[in-house]
Parts: sequence; C-alpha cells; structure tokens
Amino acid sequence: MSTSKKISKKDIGKILSQWSQEFTVLVPSKEGNVSKMARWDGKDTRFMDSHRNTVHPVKANFFPPMEEMFSFQKNKEGYHIEPAPPDEHKLLIFAIRPCDANALAILDMAFKDGYEDPYYLSRRKDTVLIGLGCTNPYDSCFCTSMGGSPSDSTNVDIMLTDIGNEFLIEEISEAGKELVAKTEDLQEAKKADEAKAKKVKETSYDKVTRKIDTRDIDKKLLACFENKDYWEKVSAKCISCGICTFLCPTCYCFDINDDSFKKRGARFRSWDSCAFPVYTRMPMENPRGEKWRRVRQKVCHKFEFFPMNFGSIACVGCGRCIRLCPVNWDITQTIESVPEIT
Amino acid sequence: MKNSEIEQRLRQEAKALLEQGKVDCIIGYETGSLKFTTTPLITRNKDDVERLIVSPFIVNNLSVYLTEIKGKVGIIAKGCDSRSIVNLIQDNKIAREDVVIMGIPCPGLIDLNKIELSLGKDRDELDNVTRDNDRVVITIDGKEKDFPITEVLFDNCLECEFPTPREYDVLLGEPCAPVKSEVSKKTSIKELEAMPRGERWNYWKEEFSRCIRCYACRNVCPACFCQRCFVEESEPQWVSPTPKWQDNLMFQVTRNIHVAGRCTDCGECERACPMNIPLRSLTKKMYDIVDEQFHYKAGTDKNASPLLTAYEAAEVEDFIR
Amino acid sequence: MTVTDMSQGKRFFASENVYLPHIAIIEKVIDETPGVKTFHFNFKDEKLRKEFSFKSGQFAEYSVLGVGEAPFCISSSPSRSDHLEFATQQVGKVTNALHRLGVGAEIGFRGPYGNGFPLDFLQGKNLVFVGGGIGLAPLRSLIWNAIDNRDKYENIDIIYGARSPDDLCFKYDLDTWDKDKTINIISTIDREDKSWSGRVGFVPKVLEEVAPSASNAVAIVCGPPVMIRFTFPVLIKLGFTPEQMITTLEKKMTCGIGKCGRCNIGNLYVCRDGPVFTYAQIKNFVSSEY
Repeated sequence: MSTSKKISKKDIGKILSQWSQEFTVLVPSKEGNVSKMARWDGKDTRFMDSHRNTVHPVKANFFPPMEEMFSFQKNKEGYHIEPAPPDEHKLLIFAIRPCDANALAILDMAFKDGYEDPYYLSRRKDTVLIGLGCTNPYDSCFCTSMGGSPSDSTNVDIMLTDIGNEFLIEEISEAGKELVAKTEDLQEAKKADEAKAKKVKETSYDKVTRKIDTRDIDKKLLACFENKDYWEKVSAKCISCGICTFLCPTCYCFDINDDSFKKRGARFRSWDSCAFPVYTRMPMENPRGEKWRRVRQKVCHKFEFFPMNFGSIACVGCGRCIRLCPVNWDITQTIESVPEIT
Repeated sequence: MKNSEIEQRLRQEAKALLEQGKVDCIIGYETGSLKFTTTPLITRNKDDVERLIVSPFIVNNLSVYLTEIKGKVGIIAKGCDSRSIVNLIQDNKIAREDVVIMGIPCPGLIDLNKIELSLGKDRDELDNVTRDNDRVVITIDGKEKDFPITEVLFDNCLECEFPTPREYDVLLGEPCAPVKSEVSKKTSIKELEAMPRGERWNYWKEEFSRCIRCYACRNVCPACFCQRCFVEESEPQWVSPTPKWQDNLMFQVTRNIHVAGRCTDCGECERACPMNIPLRSLTKKMYDIVDEQFHYKAGTDKNASPLLTAYEAAEVEDFIR
Repeated sequence: MTVTDMSQGKRFFASENVYLPHIAIIEKVIDETPGVKTFHFNFKDEKLRKEFSFKSGQFAEYSVLGVGEAPFCISSSPSRSDHLEFATQQVGKVTNALHRLGVGAEIGFRGPYGNGFPLDFLQGKNLVFVGGGIGLAPLRSLIWNAIDNRDKYENIDIIYGARSPDDLCFKYDLDTWDKDKTINIISTIDREDKSWSGRVGFVPKVLEEVAPSASNAVAIVCGPPVMIRFTFPVLIKLGFTPEQMITTLEKKMTCGIGKCGRCNIGNLYVCRDGPVFTYAQIKNFVSSEY
C-alpha cells in the first residue's frame, strides 16, 4: 500500500465541493424515503449518518428504470429519427458500497459484450467510484460468500474506511490516484490510522454472518436443471413480482416499447424481469409460462449461465433480493438446497 | 390465548388435516430468514407443520396462493385474509369445499417500517419486538422502549373492522375486538382530501414517479386474480409498459377500480411496495366508497354476488347524465 | 468462482448506436395465407442499399415506429439481392400494424442479427430441409441460396407441411421447386382436405416415411416448436447425429443482440448465438424450454 491519506468527516462537504467542479457528484440520497444515489445538493452531508446501502442499486444511475432511446417524427419526406442525446456528465459516485461496485463490473461485461450498449456505456464512461466500506452490514448481506467483502476495493477508484471521526483514504486505481493528488484538505494518514482501518475491516468481515457455499454450483445446477420437483418446491411461495430482479444490482434485462401521439413519438427502454410470465410470452406459446421455470431461470442465469459466458457469478451478495422480497424468498436458501450431484 | 398455544393447536389441526387426507396442502407461516420476518410455508408434508408459527409479523395474505395450488388446501387466515378467501369463493375462483380455513383472530400486525422510521434503525438492528396488549416493547442496544400500538401497528390494522375471521372451519383463539384507531398522517385520506386539487395532483405525480412497475402490489393482491392483467394487453394497449408516472398512476387507478368490492384492506399492496408509495390511500378510499355508496363490505358474505358483477334495477345511476 | 476483477481505468466509448433503426420502404406485399404476408422492401438510404449484406438464416428487428419492434428472419436469399424480404404472421401488436401497411410505407430495420446457416459446413452435403408453416421462411432463404449455387451441394430434399392447403406458404416457390428436377420436394398437410391430392400427415410422420438417408447429410429443421420437438427423435431414428441436425429457433427477441435477456436457452441466446443451432448445442434444454 502506498502511503494513504485521511479526511475528517466534517470536511467531506469540502472535498465534495472540489470534486463538483469537475464531476457530477452523486451521494446516497432519499426520495420519498427510498434511498438511492442522486445528485448532491452541494450542502447537505447528513447522508453520512446512514451506515447502510441504498434500496436502489447503483445500476439505476447507469441503466435507469426507463430511458428514451430515440425520438421520431413523420413529415412529408418520411420518418426522421433523432437519437437521445448522450449523457455527457462525468459522474463521481460517492460512498458506493463494495458490492454495488462489483456489480457494475458485472454489468460492464454484459453491456460491453458483442454489441456495445451505447446508453449504459456512455454514462459509465469516465465515472469515478469512491467506495465506502461497510461497517454495519445487513443480516441479509452475504458478500463474503461471493468473493467480495464489506471492504472490498477491487472495483472502486478510491476506497474509504470509517475509522471514527475520519475516513482513511486508499488510492486504488490510476484515476483514483490522480484525483487524490489534486484534492485539497486531505491529511497524511498515520500508522495508527492504518492499523485502525485494518481492524475495522476485519470486524466488518466477521459481521457478515450469512454464508453460502458456491463451489461447483454451476455443475450442480446443470445436473438438477430437469428436477421439476426441486424447482417447484423452491419456487412455491414466489409471487412472480419484479422486486428481486429490478433492485438486483446485476440484473440487466430490459424491454423496449414505443409511445406515439399523432406524428411524433419515441422509443423507450425499461427494466424487465424474468419473473414475469409476459417476459417470454410469444403469441403461440410461452417457454417459461410456469413459475418454477421462471425461478429456475433467475437462479441459473446468475449461478450457471452467466458464469459459463463470462467466468463470473452474476451475484455480489448485496442481499437486496432477500430483504426487499414481500414473501421472504431467499436466494441463499435456494442455493444451499440445490441437490448434490449423485 | 397466547400465540404459542394457538401455534400448538394450529400444528395439531394442520397435521390432522393432512393425515386424514382432508387436505392435500397446508398454507401457513414459518419463521423467515431475516430478523422478525415470517415467510409463507406451503407444504404437502405433515412433518413440516411443526414449523408453522403465529406471531405479530405474519403479514402475508396467503389467500393469494389459492388460485394456483391444485387440490384441497388447509389455509391459515387472519380476519382480512378470510374475507379475501370469501371473495375468491364469490368469484368462483375456488370452491368452498376445497378449502379448510383455520381462522386466527388477529389483534393487529406490527409494522416494522414504522419502527424503523421512528427509531432511525433498521429491523435487523433491533434486539427484540414484543406485543403486550396495547403496547409494543422494543429492545434496542439492551434498552427497552415502549410504544402504544397506535404508533406501530399497520394502518390497515388500526382501522380493521373484522379482526376475527367470520368465515372459517376452525377458529384458533378467542375473538378479538377491533383496535378502531384513526390513522392520521400525511398520506391519510383526510389529509389528501384536504389538499387543493393541484397540490394533490402534484403529490401523486411525485409518488408515482418512483414506481418501477415491479407489480408487487398486484401480485401480492388476492383480488388481482386475472389470468392476464390489462397492463399486459397490447391490443388495445391501455397503459404503456414504460413506467412513466402518468401510466403508473393509470395502472394503479385502474387496478383499484378492478378490485373495488374485492379489496379487503389487507394492506399487502402498500406493504409490498419497495418504492414506499402510499397505495393504501387509494385502496382504502375505494373501500370507503364501496361501503358508503353500495353498503357493501368485501368478503363478508360468501353467498352474495360480487359487487361489480351484480346489478339491481333500483341502483342509483345519477352519475349517468 | 468469484466476481471477476475488471481492470480499472478501463474506459468505454460507444461510437455506434445499434438500437437505431434504418428506414426501409415496402415495395411489394404478397398475401401468402390467411394471416401471413410477405413484404419486399429496400433501404431508403442509397448507400446502405448497395452495402448491406447478410447471410441466409439471419434475422432483423422490424419496426412500425410508434407501435413497436419485432424480429423476423430475412426470408429472401443473399444470392438475389435487388431487394430484401420478410414474412410474418399476424399475431400481435406489431404484426397487426405491419399487415396494415402497403407499398410505399416506411418501416424501421435493425440488423442483420444472429449467426445464419453454416454454409461452409453445408457445402458438399446432402441437404434435408424439414419445414412447417411459416417456418419455411428462413429455410427458403437457404434453399434459394443453394439452388443459385447448385454445384456446391449434393441432393436437396424438402419436406414441408402445413395445417391445410391454405396454410402452405410460398406456394409460388413450392411450384418452382416441384418443377426443378434437381430437387426432391414433398408437401404435406395435417388433415385430409378435398382440395388436396398430395400427402397427408404431420411433418415428423412424413419425414419418417420418406426416411432420407443420414449419410453425408444435414437436416435443417424449422417450424412450430411442437413440430421441431417431434422431428428431432425421428431424425435420430434415421441415423442423424446431433451435429447433423440444424434448426433455427424462434423466441421473443426484443433487443436482437444478446442483452435484453429473454430469448436464452441455457447460456445461449437465440438472437446472438443463434437463431441457427445444431441439436448438439441445445439438446440439454430442448425437452424443457423449447
């Protein structure tokens, strides 16, 4: 580790103001009591009082619930198509949690693979992620089973660790290094600060008590793909709503629909979910009309198919799907109960 | 009767139903995977009934599963749930003889969201939450805090008319009286009706701007039993699948009309909403309209015709001008 | 397995927007059967008209702007390139809107997408086409391609069926192929019909009766899912290996480029990894989700 820096919590507003000169700064915010990353108002730093992750995953800032893809109008010469203007804001996301940062790395792969997705990637371009380690994970969190941890800094540019009245600052990427170098009001961290941070990280790690074993999970899922009894059992209480997928930081399914009025209109993209029967419904038949098939798809996509295509499980253990589920359907229980290969 | 005693009777009852072949399946509640949480238990295995529980956190309206489960079902039902079951019988979605209702008088459920809001702590940070008659005692960081139930029960529980199931095969526990407390907060109907029209429009615009169309409100609702929901129709397309606030509002308003006379004010739509939209302010208003205009209370008479499918010549039609 | 480490500092730049449709103009509309039409079209942009290329078996997303978008294969052959064709059944919002369009109307076009038929693999082989209903559309592109390059292929057998004589698509092609001595074509309908003197029976059954040899052959199958499901076992019985069986699948494909998620069969996306697959690729999932 290079020599690290630190900042007093009461000075957070100062550095955010500096960064606002260059970036659009997003911080954990509340809208109608639902937390999400939103534009910093330039003053309020009370968001630092909340120690926990947002309801909306950070994906919503790059892949919003809905967005216009292009507009069109018809005149004498025919149709004219006007693409939605690219998002030119350089985003800085402050206090992104390690799981959500890891999830962005997963989305990056999906949206970059094959045909590049211009809407997601233009927003994602040049973003800076300032990670904040979790000191108080939810009882639904299981990041440590998914290769992450409350202090995982793999996919952030700068990592902050709460050491009491201050944050320890670690430069992770080149972009992070550059940003720290030009940021004023930072102090040199002392050995004792680093030791304190190390202790905080260890304690936080142990606070994640929900554990699952994902060894050979892809093989086990392949083996039980046709095990209808198993899938019917684990899907019985699912109500096929979209909460777990919409608010999953790695789910990226979408739908495309047009709206028009007279000779003008626009095409929109919006979140879609494999939990909905209509998602795969074709006029003559529906390959996933039954609930167990949809639950199987959700689980297998994350733990079998995505790993086959990208070499990584599409789950970061943020626990949103568990804590937001109206019927407490728990993916960790499902993964733990996948039959062993006989 | 204590919850633990009700639980014992419930388990015996459920086990007997399965053993005697009177039902193929039991739907009840078991301990959930998160603190205080309960989760639906749907089982055909008699050994599983030992996991059945009763607590102030049995939030789900289990009747939502009745239309998808094959065979005869033994189901645990609170007051509101039993009314939903009666609705399904009225609408011919299920047959009375195919369901064994194990009724539980419900003194009201604890709304963990309210506790979280007032304490600024999440549910998993609380040590303990217990109901003691008209009070709820919350232990946090080793210290006890006392709340009157009017502050921590769900709004719909505070305004519940029939906490004790009226339709049941067996009633577990003694009937309990309604809490009958008026809800007063920003999202209450009274407050909303007091708002100037423009302000109220803006209020709903803001609320429905958050909607992500996860359809949890619809899918937890036992009254929303349509095989194919109008929002999924494309010819004609009633609302856009894109979650614009206007379409979100239209979806919810239309859904509300569809469940008029079926909504039992179980509160599940609002509880399930991950975007914290005060949906009950709409459904309860409709519930009241149905009551005032038609003198009809959903799910209180299994032999009655469903409100929206019956018509009497004497009905007032002064809305047609 | 863990979350993959993405190298930091990697920044993206998206230069082209694959979701923007090109405008194309309908040049001809053919009524194939009640409810099925073929559309001939060409790009509005002169440059694109010249430069556009595709492979038999590829598909595209067609839109009626303001109504929506839907995927159909390009049913014409790249070997006949003065215009493009697609055929569609009237089954939903977008297809209803398309069916209302006439000559001169503008539509949106994104594509071509998907892999197309493996022409290199097919060269020098006996081709056995098995089609049902509108499933002939993608096969037709390849059949014409093969006819226009007849010396590159050995025998060509076509077994094609529909519910009734009225439901047979591309009758003008069937007639032409029937007269072509280098092709063996058998048409069948599901049930007896007064106006029909040909073969009667479901496609898989007729295939079993005709029993084309599996030797140096590749079977190319396309039709309704239920037909495809029953055709594979027959082909296996006839000695075809999973690698010798090719199909082109239809799923709900919204984006066409492997992102929106719904068209997967296991880890494969029909739109991106298909729509043309060998049976070997999908056999683990066929019984279940196709």
